[in-house]
This record gives sequence, structure tokens and C-alpha cells, in this order.
Amino acid sequence: MTEVQDHSPAALDDRDRHFADHAAYGTDLGVSLGALRLANPVMPASGCFGPELAGLLPVHELGAVVTKTLFSQRRSGNPSHRLTESAQGMLNSVGIPSPGSAEFIRTVLPRYRSFGVPVVVSVGGLAVEEYLRITEELADVRCEALEVNVSCPNLEHGGLAIGTDAATVERVVSGVVARTSLPVIVKLTPNVTSIGDIARAAEQAGATAVTVANTFPGMAIDLEGRSAVLGNGVGGLSGPAVRPMVLRLVWQAAAAVRIPVVGCGGVSTARDVLEFVLAGATAVQMGTATFTRPYAMTQVLRDLDALCHELGIARLADVRGTVRI
Amino acid sequence: MNTPLDTEAGIPVRDSVTPLSDGGTRTGAGLPAPTWHRARVLVSTPYGRGYHFLRLEAPSIARTCQAGQFVMLTAARDGDDGPVLPRPMAVYGRDPRAGTIDILLGVVGDGTRRLASFGPDERMLVVGPLGQGFRLAPRTRRVLLVGRGIGTCSLTTVAQECAGTDVEIVAVASGRSADRVVGADVYRAAGVTRLHEVTDDTGASDVARLRDLLTADLDQAPPQQIMTCGSERLARLCEELGRRWSADVQVSLEAHMACGLGYCHGCATGTRSGPEESPLICADGPVFRLSRQDAER
Repeated sequence: MTEVQDHSPAALDDRDRHFADHAAYGTDLGVSLGALRLANPVMPASGCFGPELAGLLPVHELGAVVTKTLFSQRRSGNPSHRLTESAQGMLNSVGIPSPGSAEFIRTVLPRYRSFGVPVVVSVGGLAVEEYLRITEELADVRCEALEVNVSCPNLEHGGLAIGTDAATVERVVSGVVARTSLPVIVKLTPNVTSIGDIARAAEQAGATAVTVANTFPGMAIDLEGRSAVLGNGVGGLSGPAVRPMVLRLVWQAAAAVRIPVVGCGGVSTARDVLEFVLAGATAVQMGTATFTRPYAMTQVLRDLDALCHELGIARLADVRGTVRI
Repeated sequence: MNTPLDTEAGIPVRDSVTPLSDGGTRTGAGLPAPTWHRARVLVSTPYGRGYHFLRLEAPSIARTCQAGQFVMLTAARDGDDGPVLPRPMAVYGRDPRAGTIDILLGVVGDGTRRLASFGPDERMLVVGPLGQGFRLAPRTRRVLLVGRGIGTCSLTTVAQECAGTDVEIVAVASGRSADRVVGADVYRAAGVTRLHEVTDDTGASDVARLRDLLTADLDQAPPQQIMTCGSERLARLCEELGRRWSADVQVSLEAHMACGLGYCHGCATGTRSGPEESPLICADGPVFRLSRQDAER
């Protein structure tokens, strides 16, 4: 802990103290996603972070930042209500509103770049062709990786998520990889029979890493109104409620592929991060936890350093995938 | 903020509003930067019927919060896995010198029950100040505040800000019964010119009777601005009175929120899909201009 200087504690916000606080134990938290080196394994989940958070946590300490999923064209998202709470989790049917690629490149991306950490641009589409187009539109853009969100509905095939079909995932990913020199991370949907099959399809198509996983489909009903709570009827479940299910998926995906797995689902504490790493994750994304506490990601980084020290782990990468079954 | 709005058939108020910031500048000049406190709970006590009063030590927010802005309160204690969503709450009162903010919450579900269970000296995470508050125009000399139930909490800081100025405040505090009318203490302390407390059990809160009361009170010297929160029916009455008096009408809306800052896009106003995303209650609001023109498109 770095002592705060020249201020009486009363003059400082808790926020100020959090910004001034620094890791003390020197655990090596560095990780690699292919050629992309990250100072530590913690980054936001797409859609659960924005430049608006700049003053609320020291974003420059994160391993990377991830943008909201970008579509080529402007999108307005779903009608309200878009959010509701469930036991240890939340349902959202935001529906990925997007400014479109031109507006994103002009006004949004510079704000992400200003943090000085690697920027992962999440991209989406409603057909294979749309993924290829957005990749081409980002060809001259400065960012460190693309994350391909294959949980979007495929409008060419009845709205089933693109990520539920291994052959379609392979087509999307190989097309994206052919059109960019950046590392390509593929964010998988958990709503599949075999996460290993889909992860292998991504790997064979040239993905640098896979993120496991997106939200789980869910629903909430307002009994008094006898109506669906969400304007879209159904939504995606996230938060601590999904953590055990995602932990299993991470473990299965890590066993199926040689490329790194980024764990995403309910991570809220440093213990959660270590559990994901033991299951085989190289890095983690945090989403819902940032809603509960805006400084959750940087708090987890500090706690992770201390927890590793306590458990005698000098290098985080040393314990990856070492869970005993 | 804070309470489910009374609803009736017809176009929801949330589909009839436009942002106060023309051109959609969300981080408008003059808005204080949000911060957070792990705020010490100084007072935690039941209030009226079904309400709970919290006084929190949150000096930065107490210093910078503008009338009608809100804060997010995290109901999960350290180590708890939920509730995951913080609760958006109007700032009912603030004391910049003491460094405190007051919150009056309606205890309606698990989250608000947990917030009410925080005892003195516990720490509660509070993020704020957030959103676009009420805009008092320089020419305004008289403001009508119309609040219903816990919705009145969004309006009380307007009266606090006008205290000691030459802006006259006429306030309506409506509720189902006398123990569900809130705000009278803050309004009186702020020295409002007139306070009308109206309840359902006497019939005085009925829209037609309230219309008669307010036109009799204000037709001779109408307000330049009307600010309202907590009821669809009262918002529509304010809209009507705004036309009658050529007054500007502003309404504070409420929604479930996740981020409170604008990046999650969870609190869009629009109940129907359109080519453009509708305004976000957290960042474009919670205070909006109420206008029928949009609804008639």
C-alpha cells in the first residue's frame, strides 16, 4: 500500500484512496493472448464498460478494455424494459444498440484509446457477410484485437445464434481472420451442446483465443401484470448466478483447444479469478460486477495480487489449468 | 425516480419526453463529475408508511449534487453476491457543509428492504451525482412542484436550491394517505410559499380537484416552470397546466438501471422500437422536457 501524502484522510474520497492505492506483493499477473501481451488478466466484458467509467476506477491499470459490440450500421436496440434483476444475477435485453462503424471510429474509439491499455473492439453482425464488412471497415483502425461476438441472431437462418453452429462459426472466423492482421478473439455463446466443438471450430479457423461465454437465455414474468418484464420478452442472464455453469464451460473449452480461453461469467472477486484460471482460463472478463461496484475490476486486481501472495503463487500463469479432478 | 409511476391507458409519459440537453450532449458542461463513497450511514429510520430515511456521509456528492440529480445505492454488502443491481435514488436533501445526503426510499422489494436494513455506522456504496437535473431558467420567478408519493423526493432539492432566492415555490405533495405524503418537512424548512398536501382518502388528490385548486391558486400569477415526478396522471395534468400558463414542464422519470452512467444502455425510455435509440433515463435524464409533440408523431 502506498501512503497517501499531503492530505488529511477526511479530505479524500474513498474513490481518491482507491486511485492512490497500489499493488504491494509483486505477483506476476502478466498473460498473453497469442502475440497480445497483457499486464494482467482482468478486462471488462463487452457492453459492461464505457469511457463514462473513467473517473470511477483507474482504468489504466486494467489488462485491456473491451468495447460494446460494434455493428457496421447504426442500431437502436430493443424496446424498454431492457433490464431486470434475478437471484444473484440480472437479465438484459438491451439488444446491442450501436453507433455504426463510422461514428464509432470518429468519436467512440478515441475515448477508449485514451486509457493507454490495449483496446479490444467487439464486433457483431446479423449474417456472415456483416462480420466480414465490419472487419474491413476497421482495417485501418488502431486497436490491439478484435473480439467476434457470435451470439448475435443469424437472420439468414431463422434467428438462431450464429455461434450455435460450428460450420457457421468457422466461416465467420476464417473470414474475419483473412481480413485483419489483429489477434481475433471469438466470444462463444454458452447455449450449445458442446462448447468444445465450437471452440475447436474457432481455433481451426485461426482464432487467437476464445471468450467463454456470453449470457444465458432467460425470462422474467410480472405476475401482477401477467406480462413479460422485458420489452423483448426474453433476455440474457449474467452475474454470480451463472458462475458455476461458466466455470464448467471454461474447463471444457480449455481441454478442447490449445489457444487461450478468456473466462467470462459472474466473476466478482479475486477468488473467482483464481478459480477460472485453475479451470484453464488465461484471462477473465468482468461485467455485472462493475454494475454492482464500479471499481470492482481494479479492486479484484489488488486482491488477486494479495491472494496469490497468500497462496504462494508467484506467477499467475503457473497455476493455469492445474485444477485436480 | 424511486417509485413505479401510476399508469393508465394511453401513451406512457416516457414515450413523450425529450432530453433537456439539445443535441444530446450527455456530459454537458456544468454537470459535476460522478464519484463514489463507501458512505457511513448516519441515520437509518422508518418514515411514514412503507418508507425509509437514510442520511449518508458523502461529502463530495453533498457538495456538488444538483437539484434532480440522483445517486446509485448498492444494496449488496461486502462479500454478498447480490442484489447485483444498485438502486437509483433521488437525493431528497443535502447539506454541503455537513457533507451529508438524505435519501428517502420506498421499501418495495428485496433491494430496498436490504438498503433499509443498513444500520448506523455501516458503510453503503453510493455513486453520484448522476444524470441531468432540473433546469431552472434565469427568468423564472415562480415554480410549481407537483410530486406524488416517493416521487416528491426528486423535487425537494429544487426547493432547497431556491431557498433564500427571489424564486417563489408552490408545491403539491400528493399521496394515498397522510402517512404516504412525503416532503412536507423539507419544503417547510426551505420556506416554500405554499404547500398543498393532498391525499386520496380525502379525495383532494383527484386530478379534477387538483386542477381546480391549482388554477384558482395560480391563474392570477402563474409559474414560469412546472416540475413533476411520481405519477403519470399528474404529469399529464402538469402538461395541460403548462399549456394553460405557457410554462415549461419538466418531468423526472424512473427506471431499473445497471450502470447509471449511460454506457450499458439498459434504461432507454422507448417502449417501442424505432430507427434511433430513444433517450436514456440515466444519462439523458432522469429529468426530461415533457412534450406531447413526440407522442403524436
